This record gives sequence, C-alpha cells and structure tokens, in this order.
Amino acid sequence: MDAIRTEALTKHYTVGFWRPRPYVALDGLTLQVQTGEVFGFLGPNGAGKTTTLKLLMQLIFPTSGRADILGKPAGDIDVKRRIGYLPENPYFYDYLTAQELLEYFASLFGYSPAERRTRASRLLDEVGIGAERRLQLRKFSKGMLQRVGIAQALINEPEVVFLDEPMSGLDPIGRREIREMILRLRDRGCTVFFSSHVLADAETLCSRVAIMAKGRLVTAGALSDMLAFQVRGWELVVSGLTDAVLAAAKARGDVMRVTMVGPARHALDLPLDPPPEKTLAALIAQGACLVSLTPIRDTLEDFFVQQVSGAGGSRFRESA
Amino acid sequence: MKVIGLVAVNVFKESVRDKVLYSIVAFAVMLMSTTYLIGQLTAGQDIKIIKDLGLASISIFGLLIAIFIGIGLVWKEVEKRSIYTLLPKPMRRQEFLLGKYFGLVLTLVINIAVMTAAFYLVLALMRLLEPGIDAVSAAPATDAAMLKAIALVVVELMLVTAIALFFSTFSSPFLSALLTAGLWVAGHFNSDLRNFGAVVASPTLAQLTRAMYYVLPNFSAFDVKSQVVHAQAVPASYVALTCAYGLTYIALVLVGAAAIFARRDFK
Amino acid sequence: MRAAIAAMVLLGVAVVGLQALDDRARAALVPQEAAADLLYVQSPDVLTRASLSYTALVADLYWIRAVQYYGGMRLSNGEKKYDLLYPLLDLTTSLDPRFDIAYRFGAIFLAEDYPGGAGRPDLAIALLQKGLRAQPGKWQFAEDVGFVHYWWLHDPTTAADWFNRAGDMPGAAEWLKPLAAVTLAEGSNRESSRRLWREIGRTAEVEWFRRQADFRLKQLDAMDGIDVLERAVQMYRERAGAYPASWPDLIRAGLVRRIPADPTGLPFRLDASNGKVTLDPASSLNPLPAIEQAR
Repeated sequence: MDAIRTEALTKHYTVGFWRPRPYVALDGLTLQVQTGEVFGFLGPNGAGKTTTLKLLMQLIFPTSGRADILGKPAGDIDVKRRIGYLPENPYFYDYLTAQELLEYFASLFGYSPAERRTRASRLLDEVGIGAERRLQLRKFSKGMLQRVGIAQALINEPEVVFLDEPMSGLDPIGRREIREMILRLRDRGCTVFFSSHVLADAETLCSRVAIMAKGRLVTAGALSDMLAFQVRGWELVVSGLTDAVLAAAKARGDVMRVTMVGPARHALDLPLDPPPEKTLAALIAQGACLVSLTPIRDTLEDFFVQQVSGAGGSRFRESA
Repeated sequence: MKVIGLVAVNVFKESVRDKVLYSIVAFAVMLMSTTYLIGQLTAGQDIKIIKDLGLASISIFGLLIAIFIGIGLVWKEVEKRSIYTLLPKPMRRQEFLLGKYFGLVLTLVINIAVMTAAFYLVLALMRLLEPGIDAVSAAPATDAAMLKAIALVVVELMLVTAIALFFSTFSSPFLSALLTAGLWVAGHFNSDLRNFGAVVASPTLAQLTRAMYYVLPNFSAFDVKSQVVHAQAVPASYVALTCAYGLTYIALVLVGAAAIFARRDFK
Repeated sequence: MRAAIAAMVLLGVAVVGLQALDDRARAALVPQEAAADLLYVQSPDVLTRASLSYTALVADLYWIRAVQYYGGMRLSNGEKKYDLLYPLLDLTTSLDPRFDIAYRFGAIFLAEDYPGGAGRPDLAIALLQKGLRAQPGKWQFAEDVGFVHYWWLHDPTTAADWFNRAGDMPGAAEWLKPLAAVTLAEGSNRESSRRLWREIGRTAEVEWFRRQADFRLKQLDAMDGIDVLERAVQMYRERAGAYPASWPDLIRAGLVRRIPADPTGLPFRLDASNGKVTLDPASSLNPLPAIEQAR
C-alpha cells in the first residue's frame, strides 16, 4: 500500500475581482509515495508545493482528481489520527505556552492528561526547546516557532508526516538537527513527505524526489537517476604548481581550464575521463598540494531556471 | 463530541488570558459608584434606577463581549494561520466551529453569572443599609424575578454570538461587526416594523414588512427588563417560549455557519 | 449539503412558528407595556442629551412613532387611547424644534374629534405655540392656531385675532387679513368656513392639506344639500299634511328633480317619521361638523 497517492489532483483558484479568471495552482498531479520513504517534494516558490500539501490536509478542496493517504481519502478522521503536518511558517496561539499548546493538541488525539504531559515534554526536548517552553508563544522567534511546529506534527507518533519547508527559518545548526530528526523518523518506519526549494536538503535525506514547476510535476524518481543532476566533471583546487606543469597537463587533455585563485593556487576544471584520482596522483607527484576536490553538476536552482524559462504558457485558463 | 469541549475550553482560556473578564471588574466598579452617587441624589426611586442600570449594563457588557469576541473567533485563526495546524488534527470542521461557539458562550455565561452575583450583592447591601427601602418600590430589592430577565438576556446574547460567528465564517471582522450590530439594532426595532405594516397603504409593502418581521431575529422579545423592575408578572411559559424561539434560531444560524465553513478553502 | 439545507428549512419554519406563538404570549404579557416601550424616556431634556449628536435622527424616529401610534389607534378596533400622542409630539419637537411637519400635522391629530383624533384642541394649540416660540416668524403656525379656534373650538373672535396675527407676519399669505375680517364679521358659519378651506386648498404646499380641504368642502356642500332638502320636505308636509315616505314622493310633487346624492355620490337618507335628512351611514363624509348656515 502506498502511504500517499494522488491521481490527477488539480486545483484552480479564481483570481481577479472585476474579471474573475481561474488560476491553475496545481495541474493534474499524479504521485505515489511508498511507506517508509523519505520523499522530497521540490520546486521553486509558487510551484504548487504548498497547494498540494493543503489539498492533502483538506485545508482546501480539489477542483478535480483525488488524494489518498494510507489507503483512505484525505480528510478522513481515521487518517488524521495517523498523520502529522507542519505548515509553512507555522503560527500558533499567542496566549498559550509551548507546553500548553502541545498538551492541547495531544488532548485532541484523546490522550490522558498524564500522557499529554509526557509527550509534550519529550517532544520539546527532542526539538531543542528548553526552559522557554513555559513562555507564551507570542515571545517566540521564527526559528523557535518552527521547532514547536515540528514537535506538534509528531505529537501522535504519526505513520506519515508532512513537512512544508521544514528547514526555513532555521540556522545551519538547526537545519542539521532537523535533518537528523527526519532520519530518526525514517529509522522508526515513518513516511516523511517534505517540501523544499533547497536541493541540498533533498540530496542528504531523500530516497526519492518529485520536482514541481508552475503547478505541474516535472519529474519524479531517485535523484541519482536524474540525468540533469549527473556529475559533469570535477573542480580541483591545488597549490604549489608551476606554470610548466600546468601547461603540460593541459596539453595532455587532463585539465580543461585553469583559473588562478590566489598566490600559487589554481582551480582546475577536470573532465570525467581520465578519473580525477589519476590526474590528482600525477600532479601530487609533481609537487602539488591538494586543497579541495568537488564534483561539478547542475544545481536544483540551475534546473529550475531551465524549466521556468523552457516551459512557457500562461497558468491562467482561457475563459471561453 | 469530546473535541467540541476541548476547543471550547481553549476559547475560554484564551478569553481569560486576553483579560476579557476584566469587564466584570469594570461592571462592578461602575455599579458600586453609581449606586453611591444615586443614593446621594434621589430618594425612594433609587432601587428602581439601580435595577434598571444593573440590568442594562449586564446586557450591554455581554453584548460587547458577544460581538467583539464572536467576530474574531474564526477570523483570527484563519488570519494568523493557526487553523492550519488545528484542522488536520482528528476533528471535523463542524466540531471546530461548535467548539468555538460554545467556548464563547461559556465565557459569556460565566461573565454574566459573576456580574449577576455582584448585582444582587449591591442590592442586598442597599437593603441592609436602608431597611425601609422595599416599602417604596414596586418589587423587593433582591427580587428573584430579575433572574428571568437575565436568563433571557443570556439567550439573546447566545443568539448574537451565533450571528457574529456566522458572519465571521465568510467576511472580515469589520464587516461582521457591522452586520451583527445592524441585525441587533434592527431586531430590537422589529416591533416597529410590524406596526409599520399596519399603517402603510400599499399591500405589497405591508407584506414585505411582515415578511421581514418574521425573518429578522426578534430581539425585542428577549427584553422583559422593565416588566421585572416594575414587578409585573412574566409567566414562566413566556420565558420558556422565548427561549425556545431563541434556541431554534441559534440552531438555524449555526447550521448555516457550519455549512459555509465546511466548504471553505483556507488559502 | 442537502442535509444542511433541509435542516435550515425546517428550523426556519420552526422559527417563524415560534415567533408567532411568542407574539401572542407577549401581547398577553403586559398590556400597558406599549406605553413604556414607545416613549423610552419621558423627559425631552434627558432624551436630547442622551441622543448625543443624533438628535435630528432621533426626532425623526419619534415622529415616525407618533404617526404610527396615531394611525394604529385610529385603525384599532379596541378602545382608542391617544394619551401618548402629545408626549411623542412634544419629544419630537423638543429634539428638533424646526420639525415643521410635526407641529402642523401633530396639531391636526390632536385637535380632531374623538375617536378620529385625540379631541384635544387645547393640546394642539399648546404644540403650535411651542412651535411659534421656536420659530416666531412661522405664520403657518399662527394660521393653524386660528384654524383650531375656528373649526374645533367654534370661537371665531379668537380665530380672527390669530388670522390677523398670522397676516402681520413677514411673507404671510395675502388672504389671511381678509379672512380675519370675514371671520370676525360673520362668525362661525359655512360661508366663512368655505372661504377658509378654499384658501387652504388653493395655497397648500402639501398634498394632504389639499385633500383635507377638498374633503371639508364636500362636507360643507353636503350640509348645504341637507338644508335644501329639509326645506323641501317641510314644503311637502305643508302641502300634503304628512312627511314624504320616500324621495319619489318629492319627485312626483315636483320639489326635487331626481333622487338627491351627497358629493361622494351616495343618496341621502330620508326619515319618514320626522322629515330629517341625513347622510348614508356608509358615506365617507361622516361625521359632519356642527357649523351653522350663513345668516
């Protein structure tokens, strides 16, 4: 059974007051996410990621198509018991403390008062909210609200958790903590469906991704299988090489381009063949000192730019 | 069902934290000070004036709470996006809406109960200080019949709350407040509408005013304040019938609100 | 959704039904409650202060209530009580002292004989004099005071005095002074009444006054008609020794040409036992005012 399954899921909004026109926020999305997967839902802003998540949460209703979670239609009360959801830029009741908020949400799942308290405390520990949990949420920063948001999404030990931009508003340390938490969830057998516009988040976490642009699904599958993200070459930064050695390497075809990046420090563009280990070994033998070696490939941003410039056409439907 | 209670308690908690109950303190201070002032100014009629004033302020304070909290109940959740985390929890949208409604009703009832207690306390105190006071007024100072008037005020305010909630499921707070207050005023002048129908010449206009009279909530029916103050009989059957009217109207408005709310997109 | 609509229809029907029941219960509740409800406040001063900056609007509201109260009482089948009419008008004109219509119509409502009106010409005059205090140059108010004296109090001397006063005011109608002279000379009779109503009808700015004048002129015509017919009946009796049994008797005797009708077209009634001629009870001209024929 798929954890999440959508079929031709479509959402139109009507925009414009004087001349209302339907705007296609999501256009025929068909997607399957398997149980236990960490699934990255990627795309630039406005690609339809949040719309999809809201449709799955039944915060909005589809114009056509259907969405199932755990084999039942989205919005089913039984399904809601078994899932968690973090909205984009979450916001909560100003007048409650973090502890009270989590206990309130826990109560909605029918837990006993003692159980509510232990679950709330444990999750706040887990997302790194310390003594601040006794403060009213109005005093919380954006990053802290994001952490509380993640905690509340996990209050019922969900089988499927939906995270809308979980890394946004967090500093690098926070991002790493969230990544670790997602991996822990995966190890527990939880299906994680998260949206992001940052490729690096997906690369380190996801078994599979879907890439969205302009309300349409562009491609879905494992990132490593996607041609657009194959390694095209290597960038090698070395120091301590003479111009003669560099010229010789260039003449052999081992090095495509040389850029001076500092005193006696060069950045070299290497082709895929010969393998970079070989070229590196040869250069080290001639007195080079390794600074860094990184693969060259398209970033998600490059990919988005290509898609957005390539896929023309208006998202407004022509009204007959 | 249990969810409705949980949401309601949370609304009550919010109103306490937002210091809504301070209105009770304002009420008590106002009542005490006017009591003192009127005691200095008039003779004999002061019990009547204090009763009028007390009953009127209970209903006005209640009205302000009902309208100004009622219109924000749903709107605030949507505007601040807190509804995004709440609705995916295991609850139906109707349960959320009813929870909000009963939470505010709970706030109102507690508010009015405390104000009523303070009101009777002031009256009892006056009676203690001036033992002959009952002889000059139509009804005893601590007349239990006033509870009938207060009970009807509670039902009236429950209806106002339902109307405010109804409007707030699809319009802005400003518009909701305007519409709710407008309906409240129109509902109080409803009997004029009926009389108007009796004196206009055009039968179409007479029918129109008659139709409006039945469609608009008849808030004037809930007002028996002057009757209880003048010790005129208000039979229990009248109170019961008016309550039945109010509760049926509330059910009507809430079903409408739930039907709209259940289909709404939260963009 | 269908269930919600069905529930709402059902509840809507219940609401209307309960309101109808509740209305009946409330009517039985406190009969005199209407009084307190209608006035809210007895003192014009208090009300003026309480209505903040909306005095004109509140005045309109009370004026509408006064009209509804008067109209409702006139149409009601039960006992007609007009005791709140003056307080309502007093409140209206205190809130908005330049509410001309309230003075003029209010005076008419108050002066009209019971049960058609309050039958209180004294209060009508008090209201108009209050208007004159607020707007001393308003000659229409003085004219109306004269009119009340003339028509309802049958006091042509005081009436002529007021018509004179009205005529002296700047911008007054030119017919007031002659009217005053005629009233004084002839007293209260149909000819001067006819002159008065004709002028009112001719100069009225408000349709209601025109219709009222037309109505009063028809009444005067009917009264003249009755006098002529009664004289004919007397002549018949002198000739035939008995009252005529019906109009055809008079026609055969050549005293009238056809069955006589009042200005609204309804035939006059003839009482064969005493020779009295009256209006048909269904005639809209009833009841006729008591004004003597010209000397």
